[in-house]
Amino acid sequence: MSLFKEFFKGFYDENPVFRLALGLCPALAVSNSVQNAVGMGAAATFVLLCSNFIVSLIRKGVPKKIRIPIYIVVIATFVTIVDLAMAGFAPDLHKSLGIFVPLIVVNCVILGRAEAFAGKNNVLYSLFDGLGMGIGFTLALTVVGVVRELLGDGKLWGIPIMGANFEPVLLFILPPGAFLTLGLFLGLFNWIDSRMKK
Amino acid sequence: MEFQNLMIIAISAIFINNFVLTRFLGICPYIGVSKNLDSAVGMGFAVVFVMTLASMATWLIDTFLLRPTSSNIFYIIFNAKEPPDLLYLKTIAFILVIASLVQFVEMVIQKMSPALYRSLGIYLPLITTNCAILGVTLLNLDNAYSFIESIVHGFAAGIGFTLALLLMAGIRERLELAPIPNAMRGIPIAFIMAGLMSIAFLGFSGLKIG
Amino acid sequence: MKEILKLGGILMLITAIAGGALSMVNSITKPKIELQKRLALERALLKALPTADSDAIIPVETNGQKYYKGYESPDTTGLVGYAFVAKGKGYSSEIETMVGIDTTGAITGTSILHQVETPGLGTKIEEVTYGEEKPWFQQQFMDRTWEELKLDKDGGDINSITGATISSRAVTSSIREGLKELENELGGFNN
Repeated sequence: MSLFKEFFKGFYDENPVFRLALGLCPALAVSNSVQNAVGMGAAATFVLLCSNFIVSLIRKGVPKKIRIPIYIVVIATFVTIVDLAMAGFAPDLHKSLGIFVPLIVVNCVILGRAEAFAGKNNVLYSLFDGLGMGIGFTLALTVVGVVRELLGDGKLWGIPIMGANFEPVLLFILPPGAFLTLGLFLGLFNWIDSRMKK
Repeated sequence: MEFQNLMIIAISAIFINNFVLTRFLGICPYIGVSKNLDSAVGMGFAVVFVMTLASMATWLIDTFLLRPTSSNIFYIIFNAKEPPDLLYLKTIAFILVIASLVQFVEMVIQKMSPALYRSLGIYLPLITTNCAILGVTLLNLDNAYSFIESIVHGFAAGIGFTLALLLMAGIRERLELAPIPNAMRGIPIAFIMAGLMSIAFLGFSGLKIG
Repeated sequence: MKEILKLGGILMLITAIAGGALSMVNSITKPKIELQKRLALERALLKALPTADSDAIIPVETNGQKYYKGYESPDTTGLVGYAFVAKGKGYSSEIETMVGIDTTGAITGTSILHQVETPGLGTKIEEVTYGEEKPWFQQQFMDRTWEELKLDKDGGDINSITGATISSRAVTSSIREGLKELENELGGFNN
């Protein structure tokens, strides 16, 4: 086990969205534009980093029976901090992410990492794990966001790049587009995986 | 008038803004527990039940503990100069309420009806981290629903979730036998199906109500 | 029983620490959030009443109706018009629009305060086409009185947004209704 491995596993091998199928709600809901995807990814990464840090710090003093409620309180605290800070400093992003900011609390990636990793490993490893997983989550959201914004709106990061003659495929920024895009990506990664094993 | 308003809330939560297919809430259990019909029915009932209770409980918490109004309990007890604005604690308060509620419901059902516990029991712990539950309580707050409206919204949202879950479970039982490329089996094809169902539900957005 | 008390106590303690930390964060961010809200409102008011002085837009509240009066100079002389917030149910959210009118009841400016519509469709109520400065959908309202506010689909001549009739209608009819109410409130405009 090396720090390097803990950091990079979240990018591909254990990518929370594409490989572990966790945190799917935000991956669908806020991937309609790259800006939203990156904003959500950054918020979740911050929460993941902080909660992994605190959980691994207190892991020896936490009674086994009530560890889950305690993790939830820790996570909810950092989510509220992100929520308040975003409302104060990035009101537009806060508005367009809507209730998905407080819903980071129930994002299974974060509770999952607290339970599966930070509750069993030391602070340094947990920090690297949290950062890697957070970046992996952000990457996944961004990839889906790029496809949906480009095809559905003809833009990237809000800037039109497909030219005036491009007729956007509206379906992609509507809810069905989210399901279809993510479904095809999951299939693609399965396929790559089975190819590599051969 | 009041009744009509409640009907609008219910119909829009079930069809137009279906929690799973247009709001993307509760995707994890939607994909995870839709492999067969029996477990989908169990999960669906558990969600309806907890959503209705959670809507009730969080409305009370919001109105009497968090919101800065003259009915705030802290204001009344401590005789403060002005009501405290504790709305920033909503996320942490709501998730704790939901977690304790789920625990409580689990204990009650276990005592009252062991048969029901056997069928619902295993789904209850999963519900705490179902974002549809926390989602419905936050939406109640965003839309400034009254007590009755919150309950109706919570109940209807649960029905909407169950509807989507049952439809999906019915389809997935058949998908097991269908010739699907290996890479697409399981979760990927479930997403494609969800996309197609979502297209169908888009049709409801043309409904003119109100 | 003793164990439950002990576990409950630990949980209480953790929650109390969390609550304390949050109230500290809240006391820092609260003024910032309020400032952002005030700035957003000020920007919207100035867009709605471009000829008014930024320090001379005064909120008025009469039996349930709330609107703003805009004056030309900071000492609140020279009434240039009124502004109010129109609310209408859109596709996926309540759309709130700040609307400004001159003293004859013709629209001088609009600005969307709040909407969470479908990106790429409903959000076009705020879309600014390349090379333009103002959102094209809202520009259609300029200089109109409430009688002239009707979507093409409802027999008027305001172009609705393709694929977003519900959002277009929400904005148009909420402004129309709001203007009607304001006219009643003020006892008519000077035409």
